[in-house]
Amino acid sequence: MVSILEMPETTSPTIVNHPERIPKPETERGMIEIEQLDFAYGTNKVLHDINLSIPARAVTAFIGPSGCGKTTLLRCLNRMNDLIDSARITQGTIRIEGVDINAPGVDVVDLRRRVGMVFQKSNPFPKSIYDNVAYGLRIAGITKRSLIDEAVEKSLRSAALWEEVKDRLHVSGYGLSGGQQQRLCIARALAVEPEIVLMDEPCSALDPIATAKVEELIRQLKQQYTIVIVTHNMQQAGRCSDHTAFFYLGRLIEFDQTAKIFSNPAQRQTEEYITGRFG
Amino acid sequence: MIAPKHILGTFDEALASLRNNVLLMSSLTERSLDRAITGLLQRDDELCAIAIADDEEIDQLEKQVDKDGIDLLLRFQPVASDLRRVVSAMKLSSNLERMADQGTNIARRARKLNQHPPLPETELITPMYKHAMAMFKDAIDAYVREDVQLARAVVPRDQALDEMNAKAGRRLIERMAEDPEQLRGYLNLIFVSRCLERVGDHATNMAEDAVYAAAAEDIRHQHFVPAANGGT
Repeated sequence: MVSILEMPETTSPTIVNHPERIPKPETERGMIEIEQLDFAYGTNKVLHDINLSIPARAVTAFIGPSGCGKTTLLRCLNRMNDLIDSARITQGTIRIEGVDINAPGVDVVDLRRRVGMVFQKSNPFPKSIYDNVAYGLRIAGITKRSLIDEAVEKSLRSAALWEEVKDRLHVSGYGLSGGQQQRLCIARALAVEPEIVLMDEPCSALDPIATAKVEELIRQLKQQYTIVIVTHNMQQAGRCSDHTAFFYLGRLIEFDQTAKIFSNPAQRQTEEYITGRFG
Repeated sequence: MIAPKHILGTFDEALASLRNNVLLMSSLTERSLDRAITGLLQRDDELCAIAIADDEEIDQLEKQVDKDGIDLLLRFQPVASDLRRVVSAMKLSSNLERMADQGTNIARRARKLNQHPPLPETELITPMYKHAMAMFKDAIDAYVREDVQLARAVVPRDQALDEMNAKAGRRLIERMAEDPEQLRGYLNLIFVSRCLERVGDHATNMAEDAVYAAAAEDIRHQHFVPAANGGT
């Protein structure tokens, strides 16, 4: 899991973050509220004063060049960074539905059930398709076969994979194509009924057809889930997301409706990045 | 405003080529209109014929701009200001082509008028032509310089041209009643006046496209409220 971590490079003192100038989409209070967040790996501060309100039941894309901190921020949302020594939030809060997820006493296992994650490279377990999806339910202590059967079918249907695998549920997940494996991972994440799904470059290893299927799936899933997606593919961000946040050198430069970001961004740095006039 | 260089040099080259073709169309359209009006005012059939022949090159350039614009969209999927630049170049080219068609129409009417004795009412055309061309040049200048203020200022000027056209129309209809022998001549002048009014409409469209390209703002179809002092 650590292999996909993007280690941000050193930060530039010339970029100044102005949270008051960063427009917020016109939504009610966000599902996820990030306030004045700083994050560091050891002494290397990689996120600076992030203020962001992520709306519920919508797709929010994080974009920015490698090392800008977007994956680090994504991993903060279900405390995946807890698994890395010396990585820590040095200031600020992340609230999900009003609850500070870093407060003492928060059950991290339950947090990760509520905030599921899909990774850059599909990572099915060396188990059958059925057992991959059932895994989280069994970990959660569910043993009744009929309940698990029902949840597996529902999750595979939600991940738009059921029709393709319903006749071979007990063969290895490794036998699926790359795109199917990624949708299997999405089904696995959905099986435990999360409220939020984090996706870290979910299509970067997929061909255009498999990418289109996952993008269509994302569109359908947002009716029920809050989705945050990290992507380097600007066209994908434009197609899939409702809101887009642009990060640079550990700072949130701009956050707005995706249509606004890709048609007329307010910040010069955003414009230069999305038009390819960067660096 | 000069944008920083694109990481892909080929994109900047393609965009520059698209823009240059639009500017070439603009120069040819201006020349064609000038030849058509001069052909009318100086009763020069040869100039009229050249103005009519000019249209072919402008038509071909319009097709080239469309082809290059679509190619650019396909190859680079531009966004933000780049996308607006491509889209506005294609829209400008369409307006320029139609504007050049008006030049052709004027030249055709001029050749008919030249077959008969000169009409003093032809002088009604000169101020309309100057006004329409001033709008046209400012719209193109605004597009080239990405000057939003200048582009916005072009739009309300169309009303004066509309009024000049209406006034010329009334005068020419009066003359038809007074001098029915020259009815065809007056009718041709009404058409010329109408063509210049359309040139103003296209200049307005181009100014609106220039605002969109530079400021991402769609100012089309906004109700124009004249200034309190009665100015246009």
